[in-house]
Amino acid sequence: MELPNLLKLVYRNIKVNTDYGTLIILIGLPALYLVFFGFGFQALIPAGSSASTYLSFLTPGIMAFQTVMAGTVGGSMLWADRRWGMLAQLLVGPFTRLQYLLGIMLTSVMFGLAGAAVMLVGAYLLIGTISISVVGALVIVAAILVGSIFFGSLMLLLSALVKSNNAYNSVQVLIIFVVNFASTVFYPLSPKLPVILQALFRVNPLTYVANVVRDGYAGTMAIGDAYQMAGLIAVTVVFLFLSVRSYMRSGVSFS
Amino acid sequence: MRCTDYLFGDESHFHPNLSGASQAADTGAAVIHVDGLKHTYDGKNYALKDVSFEVKKGEVFGLLGKNGAGKSTLIKILTTLIRPSEGSMTILGMDPSKDGPRIRKRIGVVQQDESFDFTTVQGNFDLYGMLWSVPTGERTRRREELLKKFGLEDIRKKRAFDLSGGQKRRVQVAREMMHDVDILFLDEPTVGLDVIMRRQLLDFVREDVRKGLTVVFTTHNLEEADYLCDRVAVIDSGRILVMDTVENLKNLYRGKKTIEVMVEESGTERFYQALGSALGAHATLSQGTEGAHVLSDNPKETLALILNVARETGVQIEWLSVRKDTLEDVFIDSVSREGSE
Repeated sequence: MELPNLLKLVYRNIKVNTDYGTLIILIGLPALYLVFFGFGFQALIPAGSSASTYLSFLTPGIMAFQTVMAGTVGGSMLWADRRWGMLAQLLVGPFTRLQYLLGIMLTSVMFGLAGAAVMLVGAYLLIGTISISVVGALVIVAAILVGSIFFGSLMLLLSALVKSNNAYNSVQVLIIFVVNFASTVFYPLSPKLPVILQALFRVNPLTYVANVVRDGYAGTMAIGDAYQMAGLIAVTVVFLFLSVRSYMRSGVSFS
Repeated sequence: MRCTDYLFGDESHFHPNLSGASQAADTGAAVIHVDGLKHTYDGKNYALKDVSFEVKKGEVFGLLGKNGAGKSTLIKILTTLIRPSEGSMTILGMDPSKDGPRIRKRIGVVQQDESFDFTTVQGNFDLYGMLWSVPTGERTRRREELLKKFGLEDIRKKRAFDLSGGQKRRVQVAREMMHDVDILFLDEPTVGLDVIMRRQLLDFVREDVRKGLTVVFTTHNLEEADYLCDRVAVIDSGRILVMDTVENLKNLYRGKKTIEVMVEESGTERFYQALGSALGAHATLSQGTEGAHVLSDNPKETLALILNVARETGVQIEWLSVRKDTLEDVFIDSVSREGSE
């Protein structure tokens, strides 16, 4: 049976891009956050709290963080294909530009979901017990799916617009840092934070991914999660549109 | 029947055209039809200006031109990578603006730049076969045949990016044969290759042309075009200047001779200026980095004129030779005439 074009491209993306370096960064870095931040911050919490309290807070945050890592994988794929000439080569093959782009997006989502699952297993080993309801799991999957598409779009937009490898890497590192630490991945949004930082938290889509994943993880879903998801989906649609537009218009490396 | 059917399939259909591909070119139907093609990247300057031509089935069609002439833009349009600003075309009877994926399924493209997936040579073949829907068993068979034919068996486990320039080119050309190809586009495939490797690569292509493959080939190397092509179009500044069979183009210039002249460096400007003014309508001067070429239909008279100009300007001639007509003469003459008009 012949695979549809989209799945062929996904298979190719996984085959070509899952080198050990990518896997270590994708899984190793968030896992290190889980270990170092989990135990490090836990030690600062006054005695009397449960040993797993902060780890339980951090785990869904790190799962949400996987969407950023998945997005960087997507952006890097487009960048690498441009750099190594495969983009133009694939586009003189039996694929449409849209299929190529969707192939990258779908691969990013798969990386996001797989990374989140690995983080969950890691957290289980550290905490000892995790209990997630079916509805909670579905909410987590939905948030990670949308989050991966958002960050995939953001990174694709970046790789379609930025012309040099150095600039691409620098901007990507900056985005990861700001998005990661100005979100509720590691700590809740406190009213004591400076106003500017609070605003940054609020406009950061990762905050909403982390909030929804956390509520799904803890089984505390409420109507607020639906609003957050709706906002997240709206922003994702806008960025998806922008990334597709800029990619189609950029003449992506063959102007 | 496609070339790879001949290459890998039922041998009873194999009708080698050992007399050369030109016979196929004469009898074949047009597989590429281009009419009034124009293209601009910025809306002001045209990279292609009113280009029209046809390529017949089984023909090797050469696009000859210096760097920046518009060859690669034309190839990108023909391979549906970019849309032309104006004009119409059909590839294999289909309209690229509507049938892009169907056309791309039946063409092979060796681009000017290297392009590999970050895996081994064998891995690149397998991925390519998978992407072009070649069934698994057939994929392995084709891969093994191609690795053998192109002498890549020993390097099959090497990463494609670790190969030498010649090996990379061979992989790129061979890889295109993994799937069924009706038209093969080769965009300066021999750049950076040594003479032996270059000839080897052209021979691989020639072998498949004999079996019915249509090839569109861009180069600025005139010997290559002479060796491989049935017809050539000389393209410059986005225009086709001349287009005909290699033999006809050479015949056009039969009787003409190219005189190569090189003078001492200090007098270069003075000499060529005087020579340009002295040459009549029967000779064309084109100046390069290593001397100048004068294409003349009266070589004796032109030779005397060159010596006279050297005497009058007091410039010493360091090299002077007269050679037979080649495709290079056609090219230089066409481009020189266009430049002077």
